[in-house]
Amino acid sequence: MTDAMRRTRRHMLARTGLAWLVMMQVMMLAFPGYLRHGARAPEAQQSLEQAIVLMNWLSLILCVPLILYCAWPVWRGAWRALSQRCIGMDVPVALGILAAFVPSVVATWRDAGEVYFDSVSMFVAFLLTARFLETCARQAVNGQPHESWDAVLLHSADRLAFWFVCVQILLAIMVGLYWWAVQPGQAVAVTVALLVMSCPCAMSMSVPSALAARHAVRLRAGAAGPGGSASLDKATRRIARQNLYGSLAWHLLMAPLAAIGWVQPWVAALTMLFSSLAVAANAWRLTRRAGDGVASGRGAAQPA
Amino acid sequence: MDALFLLLPISLLFVLGIGVAFWWAIFAGQFDDTRDAAAAILDDDDQTHPGAT
Repeated sequence: MTDAMRRTRRHMLARTGLAWLVMMQVMMLAFPGYLRHGARAPEAQQSLEQAIVLMNWLSLILCVPLILYCAWPVWRGAWRALSQRCIGMDVPVALGILAAFVPSVVATWRDAGEVYFDSVSMFVAFLLTARFLETCARQAVNGQPHESWDAVLLHSADRLAFWFVCVQILLAIMVGLYWWAVQPGQAVAVTVALLVMSCPCAMSMSVPSALAARHAVRLRAGAAGPGGSASLDKATRRIARQNLYGSLAWHLLMAPLAAIGWVQPWVAALTMLFSSLAVAANAWRLTRRAGDGVASGRGAAQPA
Repeated sequence: MDALFLLLPISLLFVLGIGVAFWWAIFAGQFDDTRDAAAAILDDDDQTHPGAT
């Protein structure tokens, strides 16, 4: 591992870890807000409201470094994509963070309305977790000889993710405007949920994680040589396709539920983490299966 | 209930301290190779030094 790769990994780890730390604090501080609409004595309600105001301010203080430091790769990527006049994966992520964070800051300042600091911090933490896994997968295959179909797979995944992101942003804007006209109180929550859902983290991980798993299998097989390499390639391709289309189907399934307002922003963030982890686990299945194959092959070779 | 208004800012200070410590630990290289410290004891110099016995 070169120095530059190690530095990249350290920065990613610092951003991810700090985002998780902030997320856990902000989720605890957000909990009294969920209890606001219960029945209780007037003086208890008043002290609860005072505590909620303090907790909202503390959440805001904790979220500022999260937005400025942890989410920095998102801002940089979105700015780079926009200055080249194209839409990358960072654009919907940046829109989602801003759409949740700015109304929350306004609500905290005015002391009126809902805050979404918990959704913001969960979104950033889960997103960075997926990015960290993706960075590790990409660093593992870095410098490996690429075969022709690797490039084809990576290219088709990128193109699919691009169109997916364009459609999702348009959908989020249209649905947000519809909710704004019908029921303004819900509009921010629905738009944030849709934008969080439109983050193609699982799709961007799908092919690199499968390639990294194949690389790990080859390292482990080592001296066993290129025997069985054709079946390994076939399995890798199948897993990469499964990852790609599986994550796409998952997004398509969840988007209508978010559009009709059944999915809260924090649930959307959880489903995003779930799909990313499912993609990583599916890729890991390849290493385990091939590991068993190598072990049983060695076992069979031993008596002879 | 009033204690909450003192304890919450104190917890914020603790969180900031933990965050700074975590950041320092990463950039001091403590998470680069987590197996390294466990293996270090196996790699030390086992030869008996003259005069020690």
